[in-house]
Amino acid sequence: MVVLSLASTTFVLNHWRPIASLLTLLTLLSGCGGKQVVVEGNFPKPLIEPLPITLGVAYPPAFANHEFFDEAKGRKESDWLVKTGAAQVEFWNIMLGGMFDQVVVLTSDEQLHKWEDKLDAVLVPVVDDLQYTIPLYTNVKVYEVWMRYRFRLVQASDIHDHEDGSLTYHPSQHIAEWTLTAYGKTPTAFLKSDEDAVNQAAVVALRDAGANFATSFGRVPEVAAWLDAAVEDAL
Amino acid sequence: MGFLSRSLAAALATAALQGCVTATVDEMTFNEPVEGIGDRSVVILGRRHAADYDTEFDFIECIGDHIRSGDSSITVIDEVKFINEMYPWFEPRIAPMRSQDIDRLLEQQPVAERFDELKLEYMIWIDGKTVETNSSGSLTCAVGPGGAGCFGFGTWGNASDYEATIWNFTDRAEVGRVSAATSGQSYMPAVVVPIPIIAPVQGTACSSLGDQLLRYLSAEH
Repeated sequence: MVVLSLASTTFVLNHWRPIASLLTLLTLLSGCGGKQVVVEGNFPKPLIEPLPITLGVAYPPAFANHEFFDEAKGRKESDWLVKTGAAQVEFWNIMLGGMFDQVVVLTSDEQLHKWEDKLDAVLVPVVDDLQYTIPLYTNVKVYEVWMRYRFRLVQASDIHDHEDGSLTYHPSQHIAEWTLTAYGKTPTAFLKSDEDAVNQAAVVALRDAGANFATSFGRVPEVAAWLDAAVEDAL
Repeated sequence: MGFLSRSLAAALATAALQGCVTATVDEMTFNEPVEGIGDRSVVILGRRHAADYDTEFDFIECIGDHIRSGDSSITVIDEVKFINEMYPWFEPRIAPMRSQDIDRLLEQQPVAERFDELKLEYMIWIDGKTVETNSSGSLTCAVGPGGAGCFGFGTWGNASDYEATIWNFTDRAEVGRVSAATSGQSYMPAVVVPIPIIAPVQGTACSSLGDQLLRYLSAEH
């Protein structure tokens, strides 16, 4: 063991310069590679009186696996891949779970049939658009993430299973359809990487989406009318 | 003894190497709680609705720590914990902007109950930021097989401008405004080793604002 250890030390001493050079080169080159962010955060449960509604939620695959890719346009820029899907599902499960008496996340046709009669409606969220900026693009010391959602509230009976096993519905068949925007920013900070800052801005944007949803849900005229009838039925 | 003298020398050197800061504090407060706030609590929150800046979380934490260390009987609720527990009502999009908006919040039964649990008496909103105002000079550092070193001179200025608005939660009224504006110039000469002479601009704003708030809230000051 001692011999091996010494040999190892000798190797390191003889080769540390090329290795150090290589590490330096890799560090320099890392600025040219792509950047990837898998959005992660801790999301609090909303402090809201739950509505007496049993709501189904169907996350389309494009939502549950949502990612945003931005290709570098110059040598100074990097490719960016921002994966928000897992965080979106985690966040909206917590948010909707706090807003409604019961929330059922629909993932299969069997589950849909089991719950169909008990559901007041099914909510289908879609990320319509996501944009981000970093200080390199704007010269402002702020990282920003902006999102636009499209929500559709659908009767459970209008949801069907697709050939590939996912749940689908006809976009024109809905109780209500509305868009909602969300914005998050975070300032630059010492020792904070671009990836960490974009992640933080995305988490702030998700929280903002929840705040916007909580305050605007009952104000969408079609939702308000449906809500009045559904709450009356529940009481 | 040797350790003590070395520590003293280090402390003196640190003090001597701090840059100068000028501070201006303004105060306008009403209905001061002359008996202190008893077992009631205070929350200090940063404004983050402006497009180009956020009031820094660590600045809010600094003011909270300053008040706690000045009067340990004052309960200052942690900002992040409060915002999370009250989610989504204190997110920048929908946070109350006027003291009258508290009534709107209290219409939410769970929110009203949580406020009761927290025994909240004062809500203090802090709006402001610290920015770099100027920078000049040049500093070059090099690393070689024989060692590393820097040479040159750099200087930069910082300015802080913060305003605290105090809301009395029981009366649903604004009971005061305190502001602190500070500025200072930092220097970094380097002959082999860089020697930072930092002006504690944000720290001075924190202690100035913290002192004023402590004087308002505490019966001991």
